[in-house]
Amino acid sequence: MTILRGRRRGLEIALAGRAFEEALGELEGVLAQRPGFYRGTPAVARLGDVLPQPEEWNRLRAALENAGIVLEGILGGPAAERLAAEAGLRFEPAQTPPAALRLRPAREPSDSELSPSARSLIADFAGARADIAARRRRGEGSVPRLPQRAATGTPVQSGLRAVEDRPSALYHDATLRGGQSVHHSGNVVIVGDVNPGAEIVAFGDIAVFGRLAGVAHAGAGGNAAARVMAFDLDPTQLRIASFIGAELERPQRRSNQPEAAFVLDGKIAVVPLDRLPAVVEDASR
Amino acid sequence: MNGRQIVVTSGKGGVGKTTTTANLGAALAKRGRSVILIDADIGLRNLDLVMGLEKRIVFDLVEVVEGRCQLRQALIKDKRFESLSILPAAQTREKDAITQEQFACVVAKAAEQAEYVFIDCPAGIENGFRNAVAGAAEAIVVTTPEVSAIRDADRVVGKLQDRQMPSRLIVNRLRPEMVRSGDMLSVDDVCEILALELLGIVPDDEEIIDTTNRGTPVVLEENNRLRGVYDNIARRLEGEIVPFTRFDQQGLLGRLFGGKKAG
Amino acid sequence: MHVLNETAEAPATDGAPKLGRAIVVTSGKGGVGKTTTTANLGTALAQRGARVVLVDADVGLRNLDIVLGLESRVQHHVLDVIEERATLDDALVADKRSPSLFLLAAAQSREKEDVDIDKMRDLVRALRERFEYVLIDCPAGIETGFKNAVAGAEEAIVVCTPEVSAVRDVDRVVGLLGNRFRPQLIVNRIRPHLVRKGKMLSVEDVNAILRLPLLGVIADEPEIIVSTNRGEPVALRTDLPTAAAYRAIAARVAGEDVPAPMPQQKESLLSRVGAWFGGRRP
Repeated sequence: MTILRGRRRGLEIALAGRAFEEALGELEGVLAQRPGFYRGTPAVARLGDVLPQPEEWNRLRAALENAGIVLEGILGGPAAERLAAEAGLRFEPAQTPPAALRLRPAREPSDSELSPSARSLIADFAGARADIAARRRRGEGSVPRLPQRAATGTPVQSGLRAVEDRPSALYHDATLRGGQSVHHSGNVVIVGDVNPGAEIVAFGDIAVFGRLAGVAHAGAGGNAAARVMAFDLDPTQLRIASFIGAELERPQRRSNQPEAAFVLDGKIAVVPLDRLPAVVEDASR
Repeated sequence: MNGRQIVVTSGKGGVGKTTTTANLGAALAKRGRSVILIDADIGLRNLDLVMGLEKRIVFDLVEVVEGRCQLRQALIKDKRFESLSILPAAQTREKDAITQEQFACVVAKAAEQAEYVFIDCPAGIENGFRNAVAGAAEAIVVTTPEVSAIRDADRVVGKLQDRQMPSRLIVNRLRPEMVRSGDMLSVDDVCEILALELLGIVPDDEEIIDTTNRGTPVVLEENNRLRGVYDNIARRLEGEIVPFTRFDQQGLLGRLFGGKKAG
Repeated sequence: MHVLNETAEAPATDGAPKLGRAIVVTSGKGGVGKTTTTANLGTALAQRGARVVLVDADVGLRNLDIVLGLESRVQHHVLDVIEERATLDDALVADKRSPSLFLLAAAQSREKEDVDIDKMRDLVRALRERFEYVLIDCPAGIETGFKNAVAGAEEAIVVCTPEVSAVRDVDRVVGLLGNRFRPQLIVNRIRPHLVRKGKMLSVEDVNAILRLPLLGVIADEPEIIVSTNRGEPVALRTDLPTAAAYRAIAARVAGEDVPAPMPQQKESLLSRVGAWFGGRRP
């Protein structure tokens, strides 16, 4: 299940460096497992040097359209740029992804190539996916759906771009109790408590308007600049990108003070919310 | 290594399975044995809390079963011992996330790495119970001297006998003064009803709630009166013959506790 | 069966019978006192004159009959009714001490998976036509037995002890129940002297996590074990503070605005509990 990856906003469809036919089959399989789950999600396709045949390309577009995924752009080399121009899609020149994002390369590495923390992340996502799939099979809605957007039409243009480029936020207006979990590809806002045994996994930031006592994993796609903020930050465990913190570094905790956690020098640090440093825009963002 | 695979079960919930598992594991580890404790209560895990290791969980039983990590990655080593680790259950999943065969396979792998593998069984006799028992070769049945607990234990003993699993009994939360006043069943009563070999008698101790809440097994508390009780059970498990302390007989009580400092 | 026949007839005016309240008593963790709570709350409600039926949903590990002291009189059980081997009237066991209290026992020799969840729902619905309160004693765990017990209920009472593990399990169950059941909390087995010494979670500690409407607090008293073993719910007694606490809970369930009495430290309790530990004897 390496075909779909989360990115800052929406999904990346990883088609580079593998047989298109096989990749397409895998994508269709993944989408069929969770019909409707990705509806309204923007996506870009990462292509390799070899471009798909026109019928393969059409099959991809059809599969995405069926799933409600909005294909907005193409990532790749010069060949991909031509295809993007023909298809009227945005083009982004492919760069080597930052190290933290290279958790699941298109070709499976041997187990030994991965660091333990990378394996942890992979396991997290596999678990999250299995949970979500199981819930959907049972017809439960405990994981909120992504907001619906028009599946047809062209991507939002220019003026709104600055807003659209930020990851979408999921707003959960209730306490998360033990055993409940929220998984989202953008930021997550919880209005309520996150009790021990509950779990939030977000690709972006996590903000809790209440007490965070469960497990929170921000920047789960590898973004080490992600933050976790809470009115009362008392987590069982914090994870940011591939960093795990059980015992938090915080010399001067005062109760009833909003706090924020972020990665500083390879460790998860906690400061009062009003002293949270501005996020440094770097290559990994 | 081919460790012993022991399920700790009871039928009724809240009689002290998890506390017993944690303390027996700790007592054996103190004796230098290598021990793995497996929490089979998927969805309602608690062994991590009782051992005070909940903050260190990265992987869990279900992820091991599904092949998403190696067993040794999921084991949490207890820093207070050389040789004790726990395999936590998944909290956000359900009991049917694994099958009996898969669970038995994990237990067998654990037994390659430890002399003792204890399986903390969930309450009830549903899937979770069947999974937990599937991986075991012997059983410890925990009961309290209450009619309802004994009835549930009896039901479980029947199911264990169907599988011809050697089983021994721990009578938990005995209140000797209530036995003497005729308000509680005696250990003899319980043994007679259940017809099981007795492995241990644990008196009720109101401080155990506190140590459980704090995540410290009582066998680690220097002054705790239950420490010796669990040490004795561990020795019996190892095959030593250790006489039973009869808490419910007149006279012994003063000798046992009279000289010790309370709390 | 006089009471039953009388109530079986639906009022003709509105076409549908006025339905009683179906309340599941649950907790996630076992051994926190669900069955004892069900028995005592049912007894206290019946003492108020309400028609009450207690349903044991713990198929295979039934205990409600023992706690009520009715085990020798159980002839048919929930599954007999569901599978139409017995009528409801055959299966209901009247509690002679409380004329309007009835028990529907669970099957001991069957498995939870044997219960058809839709028929369970129908059964509870049928009971609601005949009783003002249907209290369902839920088994431990969150497996099939839990789902069956919850199926027909409209409200939930969750029972929690002042233990971290119990709080975690109750929280899990409340999350599974969702808001539809409007869960209310009973904190069971509080030992005030331990709370005061900081050796036990307080009711406030428990509810800091759960944040549920508090129905009542029950102290940990040796009498409860005694009464359970003897099959006499403490709510039948008039001389015990615990019985008063159950009556107050019953009043609150019935909608009265009475304060939840908090267990007080009693010298007698301290000396009794502390006596055999030695050292603490006064």
